Amino acid sequence: MRSRTVLRRSDRSKGLSAGMAVLLALPGLMTCAPAHAGAFAFVTNQNSSDLSVLDLGARTEIRRVPVPGKPAGVAVTPSLGSFFTVSPDSKTLRRFSLATCTETASLQLPGGPTGIAVAAKVEQESGEQAPKSLIFVSDWYNARLHVVDAASFRLIRELETGSAPAGIAVAADQSWVASADRDANQVSFFSLPDLDPIGQVPVGERPYGLATAPDGRLHVANVGSNSVSVIDPGRLAVIAEVPVGERPYGVAFASGRAFVTDQYADTLSIYGLADLKPETVLDVGEYPEGIQATPTGDLIVSTNWFSNTVSLTDPKSLEVTGEIETGDGPRAFGQFIAEFPEGDTPCRASN
Amino acid sequence: MLPTFSHLSAVLADREPRRKPFRFAWLAVLAAGLVALSGALTPSEAHGPTRQKVTLTTEVPAAPADVWAVIGNFQDMSWHPAVFSTKGEGGNDIDATRVVTLEKEGGPTISEVLYKYDATKMTYSYRITDVKVEVLPVTNYSSHLTVKPGKDGGSLIEWKGAFYRGYPNNDPPENLNDEAAIAAVSAVYQAGLDALSDRFAKK
Repeated sequence: MRSRTVLRRSDRSKGLSAGMAVLLALPGLMTCAPAHAGAFAFVTNQNSSDLSVLDLGARTEIRRVPVPGKPAGVAVTPSLGSFFTVSPDSKTLRRFSLATCTETASLQLPGGPTGIAVAAKVEQESGEQAPKSLIFVSDWYNARLHVVDAASFRLIRELETGSAPAGIAVAADQSWVASADRDANQVSFFSLPDLDPIGQVPVGERPYGLATAPDGRLHVANVGSNSVSVIDPGRLAVIAEVPVGERPYGVAFASGRAFVTDQYADTLSIYGLADLKPETVLDVGEYPEGIQATPTGDLIVSTNWFSNTVSLTDPKSLEVTGEIETGDGPRAFGQFIAEFPEGDTPCRASN
Repeated sequence: MLPTFSHLSAVLADREPRRKPFRFAWLAVLAAGLVALSGALTPSEAHGPTRQKVTLTTEVPAAPADVWAVIGNFQDMSWHPAVFSTKGEGGNDIDATRVVTLEKEGGPTISEVLYKYDATKMTYSYRITDVKVEVLPVTNYSSHLTVKPGKDGGSLIEWKGAFYRGYPNNDPPENLNDEAAIAAVSAVYQAGLDALSDRFAKK
């Protein structure tokens, strides 16, 4: 007997069902949308070139949005009513409406656009000027951050970084923006709103993802040294290096803890924010990548790139409580979760 | 010509099942004359923007324990028809290493390290620490072999890989792009699973 060999390929994108298409055509019939307030995740699926909109309360995918060009980077920005994606293959930055989940602008960027972060409505030095919103996109191949003005959607500046910038983070008070420069083993800081270089901080080996903790410290996941460097931005100095699992990718915060996705270990490494000491490790799906807490801090959401799911973790009980299916190759590299007020949901039918 | 999915299917379908499994993966890349590129690709951990994944499975009419007895030893990859020898240290412990020599004495080599091993679940994971892109056009490659219970007491063998293309910089040449990486890894897995299918086929 000859046994059968099956080749599974990454082409399982669902698209819109016929039922959804009918509903889209009839904006008055949107009663199927969940009515409760809650958090939604916008997960870039790199291998299927689309984005899954997940209702985290109902634990279900409510929309699959086509995003050509293998998107990874994402920045959900409620104050601008938008989410942004970066597709490295087509070198395209896109803006989508949070209300309708339709594309509202796109911009080709040179080099290798990768990570993204948004500084929304930054107060300007001169009180005369209106606040500006800036989009930062790392150029993996050319050691720079592109700065795009969110209003005009035009490239307005370049900031020189170390080699292979990947993740980008903005201070909670929007006083700085920082990039993880992977091949330079450093983090580059720039002031806001001036965009002047402040300094570079050496970290572990091959920093990739980074995130700002509630206490203002910057946590940088070092893929090469299996650790997180914790930076005090005020002193531009590393105050601790916390050991985590193999190939750490992203960091999120809730319940006084940091949660780190370990790509090769298929785990979340968890440590306390007060003592910066490892606390425990949880099993999640395969190749965990993007991770973030909901704004209320009730849930940690982490993507599983190989499993095509997100894992949901309770940050208080430290239990993995569920999974939601996504498209193929979920990355969610950036800030990908937004809270919607009661009665409001994303992806409402456009007019 | 791009090695598109249909091209890959044709290669896999037309290929003789056992003796020349690597003809496509190696010779096609060698013929492209891209050998000189490998020296310029620094640093070694650099990679392209999009990680690729391949999952291949096969069902065989043999008990999982019998299949695991053949493929469950990280220090012995002789079950794969392209492998000439396996030499390593550390047995099946985490961080065990092996150097797989392909084809013949003095043939191309792939250096690998074991980073997960669970005999109870019959699964292990390893990654490549050193390979030339003209041997296998990938970087940052990790792989997972698992034996699961199959139909009628048989086994499902699953081989999964995650990797970036061989060319880590922007705008890759065709023979080191994402499609070439997927084609090469798929060919390696297919050859190994075909050999296991033959080995465990009911006589």
